[in-house]
Amino acid sequence: MDRTDALVSVEDVTRKFPLDHNAVTALNHVSFQVNAGEFLAIAGPSGSGKSTLLNLIGCIDKPTSGRILINSVNASTLSPARTTQLRRETIGFVFQTFNLIPVFTASENVEFPLLVQGVSASDRRKRVGEALESVGLSARAHHRPDLLSGGERQRIAVARAIVHHPALVLADEPTANLDTQNATQLIDLMRDLNRSLGLTFIFSTHDQRLLEHTPRIVRLCDGQVISDTSTEGAGHEQVLAACVP
Amino acid sequence: MSKFLLLAFRNVFRNRRRTIMTLLMVGGGVTGLLLAGGYFAFMTRGLREDTIRNGLGHMQIFTADHFRRDEVHVLDTGIDNWRQIAATVSTGGHVRGVAPRIEFYGMVSNGAKSSVFMGSAVDPIAETSLGFSTRVTTGHNLSGKAEGEVEALIGAGLAKSMNVKVGDGLTLLAVTTDGALNGVDVQIAGIVNNGIAELDARYLRITLASAQRLLQSDRVTNLVVGLDATENTDAVAIALEPRLHGLSQELVLKKWIDLAAYYKQVRTMFNGIFLFMGLIVFLMVLMSSVNTLLMAMMERTREIGTMLAMGTPRAWVVALFMLEATLLGALGAIVGLAGGNLLGALINSAGLHMPPPPGYTVQISFRVLHVPSLMIGSSLMVVVSLACASILPAIRASRLQIAEALSHV
Repeated sequence: MDRTDALVSVEDVTRKFPLDHNAVTALNHVSFQVNAGEFLAIAGPSGSGKSTLLNLIGCIDKPTSGRILINSVNASTLSPARTTQLRRETIGFVFQTFNLIPVFTASENVEFPLLVQGVSASDRRKRVGEALESVGLSARAHHRPDLLSGGERQRIAVARAIVHHPALVLADEPTANLDTQNATQLIDLMRDLNRSLGLTFIFSTHDQRLLEHTPRIVRLCDGQVISDTSTEGAGHEQVLAACVP
Repeated sequence: MSKFLLLAFRNVFRNRRRTIMTLLMVGGGVTGLLLAGGYFAFMTRGLREDTIRNGLGHMQIFTADHFRRDEVHVLDTGIDNWRQIAATVSTGGHVRGVAPRIEFYGMVSNGAKSSVFMGSAVDPIAETSLGFSTRVTTGHNLSGKAEGEVEALIGAGLAKSMNVKVGDGLTLLAVTTDGALNGVDVQIAGIVNNGIAELDARYLRITLASAQRLLQSDRVTNLVVGLDATENTDAVAIALEPRLHGLSQELVLKKWIDLAAYYKQVRTMFNGIFLFMGLIVFLMVLMSSVNTLLMAMMERTREIGTMLAMGTPRAWVVALFMLEATLLGALGAIVGLAGGNLLGALINSAGLHMPPPPGYTVQISFRVLHVPSLMIGSSLMVVVSLACASILPAIRASRLQIAEALSHV
């Protein structure tokens, strides 16, 4: 086990995908760290490698080279069973297309990660209630996803991502299918949860308007980190490279 | 676990049209098996009871010699003290009665023409008390009276061959136990139609007393035991066998199933046909269900990816798909049971008949029995078939690459 103080440590990560006889480099020697309690946006145009990076941090893909440490554990070297356990206990996911189970109600969707963890029924009820309340959708608990608006669905997805108290929540373009008002509300909701519960959020977006109130932004271009901007504290910006379209 | 079951149950009804089609297909298979199996069961049960009622009885007692060697003369291996044995057997539980029989053969003549007959001699009163029926189409059954003309029943084919009718006289010639030729004149009391043309061409029946006079012997070939119900055969046989030991002759007790060669052949044939049908239904359900379940898996690729991303063990995904298929199979079985029993009841109420099979001269009822073991077996078969069909889709689903599954459109 490797030891660092960061919750997430991305160390010189490269990810290549085979394509015919060539390989496409989605991420090229990316490195940065995320501390517990941070609220971090990964920004960049389409094809810059945002989703690939989130997949790697979320342990649902493995880097071609380099390593990713989650809570000081090198996720790249874990067995499939341990990787599944790490995802189950440490990470919450929010997806661009909500990805709720359509035959489950809102509360049953939120309950699912607890079910997988083997949490008792009474505990599940309590924690689902808390999670739904934290996203302001207690009244919609027994509605199926097809009866909810896009904004409500994504808030249910956020409740599902936080219900098991993960150390890290990953959101891949969570606002891409929402209008501006719902998108802003969702980012505000995630920021509130980050502040109130101390949850670490990493989300990807290419929407510049949503980045205005984001304390730290890692910008990607062509698979490389081109800047790592922190607006909190000293208002630090580290420009690493220029993005060449 | 209950939520997991709930998820599987709701997934079954996710695509209603496809589910209904699958249920109809699975249910149709079960219905087909129930109707075919129910008809076969009716046929074999009917054949069993016909075989027993037509004179085989539930058990028969012979001398051991009857099976050890061929008779040189008629009744060589017959039973001597049959009255004592019959009295002993009659006191047993579930025994309705005992009928002595003589099986013999000889020549029959009308003065102008002769033919071979296969004769059986019976005690008409004992036969009637056991419920053994003789299909007398013209005339009447043997009366059993001691005086007057010797009565005979002959097969319809033999009557036609000899050009005789009820009331006409015939002469029977047979070899006695001493090897001498003996004859007796008989009057035809009735014409019999057994339903089997070959048998009717040689069939002749007279009373036991007449046969004993003809054959010059007090022996009988065997004793036929009738019970109150066929289901009691095994229990009665176990109880009777010890009581047949220690007598002057070594005796053997045969159950009806040991003597009903034709019944066993028919039952084996029906079982073979039914197994073949079952195999076809199993394969049909299996192959079409694999396709249906693969489609369901493809449609839910992103959802499976989401579940796996959230840390759902891959074994759970396999179990979920297999559970869904098993539920689908169980529902299909229920549909099939309802359909099969309903159609069976309709067929039974319609009073349908099948044409006579080759070698038979009477129509056969078309009825369907409701057999519980058949219902359970058919239902289990389709459930297992669906469960087997889900293995490939379930394994494919569990092996999905999460990142690829999440980006599946």
